[in-house]
Amino acid sequence: MNQDRSANALIMAQVSHLQHAERRLPLKYRTEIYTHAIRTEGEAAEYIREVTEAIHKAHADAIKRRSRRGLEIAAAAERPKRKRVSTGKKKTSQLAKSKKKR
Amino acid sequence: MPAGLDQLKHIVVLMMENRSFDHMLGSLSAVDARIDGITNQLSNLDTTGAQIKPQPLADFQGQLNPDPDHHFPAVDLQIFDGDDSAGRAATMRGFIKSYFNQRRDVKHSQMIMYYFPQDKLPVLTKLALEFAIFNRWFASIPGPTICNRAFAHYGTSFGRVDMNPFDVIEPFKSIYSRLINAKHTAKVYYYDTTSSTMEVVNLLQNQPQLFGTYKQFKSDCDKGLLPEYSFIEPNYNDHDTDSGEEVANDQHPDHDVQAGEFLIAEVYMHIRGNKKLWPNTALLVLYDEHGGIYDHVVPPACPPDKFSAQASSTGTGMEFKFDRLGVRVPAILISPWIPPNTVVDRVFDHASIPATVNKFFIGDDPQRSPRELNADVFIEPNVGTVDAKRNLLSLATMRDDCPVFDI
Repeated sequence: MNQDRSANALIMAQVSHLQHAERRLPLKYRTEIYTHAIRTEGEAAEYIREVTEAIHKAHADAIKRRSRRGLEIAAAAERPKRKRVSTGKKKTSQLAKSKKKR
Repeated sequence: MPAGLDQLKHIVVLMMENRSFDHMLGSLSAVDARIDGITNQLSNLDTTGAQIKPQPLADFQGQLNPDPDHHFPAVDLQIFDGDDSAGRAATMRGFIKSYFNQRRDVKHSQMIMYYFPQDKLPVLTKLALEFAIFNRWFASIPGPTICNRAFAHYGTSFGRVDMNPFDVIEPFKSIYSRLINAKHTAKVYYYDTTSSTMEVVNLLQNQPQLFGTYKQFKSDCDKGLLPEYSFIEPNYNDHDTDSGEEVANDQHPDHDVQAGEFLIAEVYMHIRGNKKLWPNTALLVLYDEHGGIYDHVVPPACPPDKFSAQASSTGTGMEFKFDRLGVRVPAILISPWIPPNTVVDRVFDHASIPATVNKFFIGDDPQRSPRELNADVFIEPNVGTVDAKRNLLSLATMRDDCPVFDI
């Protein structure tokens, strides 16, 4: 176990790919890690974990929002429609009103 | 229909990191002459002009530091020994020269020729001798990890020969999307979130539901939830977890090779020890590329891909049309339906992985890369008449003598 070992080219490439993905995340999911300062496996590992978890969280939150919206739409569809009460008067359209004025 | 193919329900691929065939399995030619490993005729010249032969002196950790260069230009030097003429021929004699460039230490550069004696890798060598060992499984590209792993996921690297993020170009899809669209099941198991995946930009970012952890892989095996196709990624870094320390087990130089041996044994035993999974699962253990380490077999030509890498992006000053394979890597296919001591001489590369999985679970599909369409399959499609000579899961009855590792 040596977290102070220099991160190899593969791990640094992975960090760079995750940074690419992190830039597409909404701000609230982003890390505060400065990737240019990452040198060791331990530092890389911390960043890799944070962004991987953030990507999963962002997708999980989006699914929750989607299902919440789905429930609201379903609930709205199930509400009984209000009955319209007729006043006996005919509605005059804006177009008809403007014609009368002329 | 052959019983082994008839029963096959799961294909599991474990892809390790950066070791060549000769380095890991070359010692086995002394045990079985059909295995194309180390012989006394092989050598490379070092930078003093001395002839250096491969020696069984590889150690688990500490020798390959710095990490041997395996980017496209370095691999070109390793294969062609610095010859960049039009009619050049591959010689596999530039490995020491390439490694010397990194530390400029003659003695140290010779370590690139070291290989493991059989007894130092009891798991990998046992599996190789007990099941099917591939004499001709090559990396897909003479280059580094990311583009080679892309071939395992997509059947192409979309023209990339480097480590940069790449875009998936339609109509080609990952093997996972193809399976899920066809109502099959697939998962990529990374080791844990601190190791994560090497397929961040396209798969993790867009389809995180495809991913599980290695712990989940074991749990899915136990609960009968293993998908039809699983791709396992090893642990790429040393890190702490809530339950203790996790040591990198990918075998990437200079990570501990023994930790990787343990991972391979554990994956094998988790399938082997499950009576419901063992008869109907095939496990492929292989390496993504050679990692700059010596191998003696010249990578063969192959039909070109739809994409090419321009001279400006290869680093060699020459265009690459994806018309030859990378350096040879260890690959072993495991199933109780495979006869012991099976040696396969047909040519494979990582495009053979989606090619096999696609053909076995979905069938033929022309919307795949030219490289994948031309790649050989390591498991025959379970339709029509199966060619007995090609079928590796050929036993009429399941073996009950398969090895067990004490882990």
